[in-house]
Amino acid sequence: MKFIVSSGALLKQLQIVGGVLNNNNTLPILDNFLLKLEGSQLSILASDLESTISATLEVQGDQDGVAAVPARLLLDGLKALPEQPVTFVTDDSSMTVEISSDYGRYSLAFVEGDEFPKLPEMEDVSTTTVPGEILATAINKTLFAAGNDDLRPVMSGVFFQFSSESLTFVATDAHKLVRYRRNDFKSDNTAEFIMPRKPLNILKSTLVSVGDEVKVHYNETNARFEFENIVLSCRLIDGKYPNYEAVIPKDNPNVLEIERTKFLSSVKRVAIFSNKTTHQVRLKMAGSELQMMAEDVDFSNKAHERLDCSYQGEDMEIGFNSRFLTEMLSNLESDVINLEMSAPNRAGIILPADSLEEGEDVLMLVMPVMLNS
Amino acid sequence: MDAFYASVEQRDNPELRGKPLAVGGSKERGVVAAASYEAREYGVRSAMPSRTAYRRCPHLVFVKPNFDKYRKVSHQIREIFYRYTDLVEPLSLDEAYLDVSHNKKGITSASKIARQIREEIKAETGLNASAGISINKFLAKVASDINKPNGQKTIMPEEVISFLEELAIAKFYGIGTKTAEKMKSLGIHYGRDLKTWDLALLQQEFGKAGSHFYNIVRGLQKSPVKPERERKSLGAERTFSEDIRGIAAAEKALKEIFEIWISRIQASGLKGRTISLKLKSQNFEVLSRSHSLDQPSNSPEVLWHWAQDLLHQDYKGEALRLIGLSLSNFSELKASSSTQLTLDF
Repeated sequence: MKFIVSSGALLKQLQIVGGVLNNNNTLPILDNFLLKLEGSQLSILASDLESTISATLEVQGDQDGVAAVPARLLLDGLKALPEQPVTFVTDDSSMTVEISSDYGRYSLAFVEGDEFPKLPEMEDVSTTTVPGEILATAINKTLFAAGNDDLRPVMSGVFFQFSSESLTFVATDAHKLVRYRRNDFKSDNTAEFIMPRKPLNILKSTLVSVGDEVKVHYNETNARFEFENIVLSCRLIDGKYPNYEAVIPKDNPNVLEIERTKFLSSVKRVAIFSNKTTHQVRLKMAGSELQMMAEDVDFSNKAHERLDCSYQGEDMEIGFNSRFLTEMLSNLESDVINLEMSAPNRAGIILPADSLEEGEDVLMLVMPVMLNS
Repeated sequence: MDAFYASVEQRDNPELRGKPLAVGGSKERGVVAAASYEAREYGVRSAMPSRTAYRRCPHLVFVKPNFDKYRKVSHQIREIFYRYTDLVEPLSLDEAYLDVSHNKKGITSASKIARQIREEIKAETGLNASAGISINKFLAKVASDINKPNGQKTIMPEEVISFLEELAIAKFYGIGTKTAEKMKSLGIHYGRDLKTWDLALLQQEFGKAGSHFYNIVRGLQKSPVKPERERKSLGAERTFSEDIRGIAAAEKALKEIFEIWISRIQASGLKGRTISLKLKSQNFEVLSRSHSLDQPSNSPEVLWHWAQDLLHQDYKGEALRLIGLSLSNFSELKASSSTQLTLDF
């Protein structure tokens, strides 16, 4: 294998693909990038067996070939080089790949490409096309709300729900829940699957600059995302996603309307004085005034703020984990939000009051922390 | 309860009324478990050896204790407490601490609650009870002895300090005869004497208890009322003044009961697996139906779903005089003072 490539262009692709690398792989071969040259197309592939990404880029190809190259070494080596053309040449007798730059030569051992695990072929595939930007937003809006509980693996991912009416993305850890829905995009196939966190994180960072459409292929067990020069495939989380619609309360007569950033800053300030285990802040709404309180009885720390708001409903007092509020409020862009509630022991629902695109629907739900009685 | 075992015996046996009575072991051996007020006039006290009691009051009547009976009465009384609060910490069969800061009846005066509870106890068991009301368990306990029998005493927050200063050391709950003697030998006769001792010195003299003494004499005690009882089920039911007819009316009534029920469940911090619906028809036929969930729940959404489901399963529109809901099969998890609620999946 022999090719010449821009060091910067190659590094960029390696960094994307490198997102899938694990620090401690059970299979040593997975510490490598699989490089494959066909004509002027160089493909780079990495996998952790659950997720696999490949990227292709145009190079000046001289001689086709395949090699599995130590990923860390290659990344570090290229990072240390200023942008310049570099030449890769493999020597099959010594099993080394030699990289030549303006400064000199570096060689590293490679492994035969066919030792790299083969990717499973996906059968019975359905496809839905989603604009990259929308998919990125959906992931950004939901992923933070997903759980970490190994005992409930289904909740550690994001639930994709495609139908002929809308595309819906849901994440929850049972304390908070986000539902991001696009009514302006549809799927020819009705499908539901749970995407694991890691490939979504990779997608999240990769999709940022993608103007293109993303082709989402899926079947019962796997999903594959294709966009621009990237293909990411992964195993889906097996299991049944909880019936999230059933836990979203429909009747919430108490509505707090408030400026988002003002509310968020207040939560952040007051939370500093809250109990370090519960992170509880209490909201007390009466008339057009919101009082926000936190207290750490163990250390006699206390905070109390008053904010103007518009509130409709019965006077009430409700406690929330300030971290959940902060995460949710930070994740919205609107100037004003509505916090809809029914009772101190039932979920609060945060809805953006503006800045939504046509067809866009965001719902965030947060369960309260019961007040000391 | 005033002279609890003895009062129960006197209630159930008219011949014993007005007589000095001791409940406990025989004359020769054993101790007095409880003495009636008549016996107390002779200096008979509980925990006194029976023989001593006899010497003090030769015509003392001895009755063997019947704990099953006392337990039954104790339950009766406790049920009365639970009408006001679930925060009931039993101290013994006949004594309990109640935290009524947030009571079920929304009564703002603890003294009024105490009076009502005592009246209800009298009406339902025929027995006299005394109560002490104050800002913490220690003060309430001390207060309860002041107007005994058949009385109550409130130590208002502003009176606490002066009350404690004037309280004789032997009257402090938790200071027994031995400790009281030791205190007296150290020149501590009243609360105000105790107050002059600093923490380090008290700890040196009394060890761990020293800091307890230091705090209580200043009216400080943080120990919350710890409800001990394991609840088996938690329910709400209502008998209607007029019979309910038809599914729409039944569902409306169910919703009202549900709201009371769910607030009790939420207040208790319990999660249960089994939801039961009870329907009593016009002619007093009772129908119960339950559903068990996979996981304990206290979610209003989930419980309402099943409450409705149970109603629809069995209700054919006949006239009803009572609807009840209850939750049982509780999980171990008890709520702490503040709890992050969880969605029910």
